[in-house]
Amino acid sequence: MMAYRRERKVKKGGKRSGTSVSDRDGIIALKDLTKKFGNNVVLDNISLTIEKGKTTVVIGPSGCGKTVLIKHLIVLLRPSSGEVYFKKRRIDNLDEHELNKVRTRYGFLFQAGALFDSLSVAENITFPIRQHYKIKDWSEVEELVKTKLAMVGLDGFQNFYPANLSGGQRKRVALARAIALNPEVVLYDEPTTGLDPIRADVINELILKLQRELGVTSVAVTHDMTSAYKIADRIIMLHHGKIIADGNAEHIRNHPHPVVQQFINGQVNEDDLAVLRASGTIFQAQFLPRDFEE
Amino acid sequence: MIEVIGTKAIAGVGNAGRFGRFVWQTIVASARSCVTTRTYPLIWTQMNLIGVRSVPIIMITGAFVGMILAVQAYDQLASMGLEERLGVLINISVVKELGPVLAAVMLAGRVGGALTAELGTMNVTEQIDAVRSMGTDPIRYLVAPRVVACLLLTPALIIYADLLGILGGYFVGVIQFGINSWAYRSYSAAGVELWDVVVGVIKGFFFGAAIAVISCYKGFTCKEGAQGVGQACTDAFVASFISILAMDYALAVIFKAIYNTFWPIRSLV
Ligand SMILES: Nc1ncnc2c1ncn2[C@@H]1O[C@H](COP(=O)(O)OP(=O)(O)OP(=O)(O)O)[C@@H](O)[C@H]1O
Ligand SMILES: [Mg+2]
Repeated sequence: MMAYRRERKVKKGGKRSGTSVSDRDGIIALKDLTKKFGNNVVLDNISLTIEKGKTTVVIGPSGCGKTVLIKHLIVLLRPSSGEVYFKKRRIDNLDEHELNKVRTRYGFLFQAGALFDSLSVAENITFPIRQHYKIKDWSEVEELVKTKLAMVGLDGFQNFYPANLSGGQRKRVALARAIALNPEVVLYDEPTTGLDPIRADVINELILKLQRELGVTSVAVTHDMTSAYKIADRIIMLHHGKIIADGNAEHIRNHPHPVVQQFINGQVNEDDLAVLRASGTIFQAQFLPRDFEE
Repeated sequence: MIEVIGTKAIAGVGNAGRFGRFVWQTIVASARSCVTTRTYPLIWTQMNLIGVRSVPIIMITGAFVGMILAVQAYDQLASMGLEERLGVLINISVVKELGPVLAAVMLAGRVGGALTAELGTMNVTEQIDAVRSMGTDPIRYLVAPRVVACLLLTPALIIYADLLGILGGYFVGVIQFGINSWAYRSYSAAGVELWDVVVGVIKGFFFGAAIAVISCYKGFTCKEGAQGVGQACTDAFVASFISILAMDYALAVIFKAIYNTFWPIRSLV
């Protein structure tokens, strides 16, 4: 059997033997993490432990730093201050070469897919395999690509190029690529955004299946509360760079914080509507035909 | 005022440091990729894109350089009755300076621009981060093959430019101005040494490496958006161009010193 198939077995075994000590400490941990871009403080002193084998969902309004947070878990961004741990090993201060070894344990789904547009769908999915293994038997790799694509409902699209796919299809190919190496941890940045409700549910099922059958630890960023309630063991809400709510779906549903309630129910704050409510603003904001008249 | 200069200086030093690190990592990765057969297909693809597709434009450049030199120099030489030595002048200029430099400038535009635009776009669409997220070093995967391909092919392309420059000069000299063909050739052969050709070709290695490294670096550090990519391409071309000229000067001084230690000064005409 081929090496990359074997690795999954090793990991499965590892999960069984990995006892509660490491489970309690979490597989990934953030300690007092702060991230600034110039003077813009995006993450403000966040501490967080991601439990092994669980699905953690990060919610929060657009622009609150969810993508920035999830990129720190794999150290694609380095913290301004604070520490990141993977399996109790500090990783935020490693050099890129060391980090690359750690990163092979992860799968990362980028918010916009980030497919390689010069490679076909099949080549995109085999990219991490080709990088890390010597392939002797291409037919087995082909089979693997077929399976991964079938999981996201895209079997038959092997020879398409990303430019010829729709946004949602790209996202799903990117998801297939993220799980190509059978990672222990998968980080999803908005896995269901841009998908139709049925397809979104298939992705939810896929995330659940990876967790149940392979013991994958997942961290998903999403706006989609249906998806969040369905897949989450734990939901974290981010607001102004801080975690304002943290708990299971039930806890979040009944959370007293008004911002949380507004977010999960999709209710607008009256302040945000002030501009629209004020009479005449829409009219003022229009280009009127007379602007173009001679 | 002093504050502005200070912050600029700090930024400048920071950039130089980052560029230095990038160059060092590129050298290490390129050396590695030369000894691992797994990266050969990547290098091969890049050689095809960078080298093979540049041949026509390089040949056209070379031919025109030779032809223009012949047109410009003929009258001066003819007024002194030295027109049969036209070939020496053209061929030395083409082989030593104009061939390498103009070919390199051509490549900085054609190849460097494409490299920066490609890597810059990959950068702003997070494809470089995607490479990193899958545990692969983007410098090894993206930069090294391009640098190796450029390094190997620029000298080869310079030979093409030289060849066409020589032919271009010959045709204009012999056919348009009616210089005796045998005289043109024998003076040229006596005036141009192997050393001159070798110097030009060696320059090619330096120019090729500089173009590739600078263009890749600009792509990697490109700012967000279409404008960022455009700006990076412009910067890459300007920086490549300046460094080609600066390196040409430095190499001219070095090679002259080497030459003079072995052979005494000779007269070209
Ligand atoms: N590379 C960067 N340079 C400067 N600022 C950045 C950078 N990346 C993110 N930011 C800032 O960080 C903040 C959070 O961005 P982030 O992409 O994490 O938002 P998000 O929560 O993922 O939003 P969305 O749901 O719309 O994707 C934004 O205000 C943005 O301006
Ligand atoms: Mg985001």
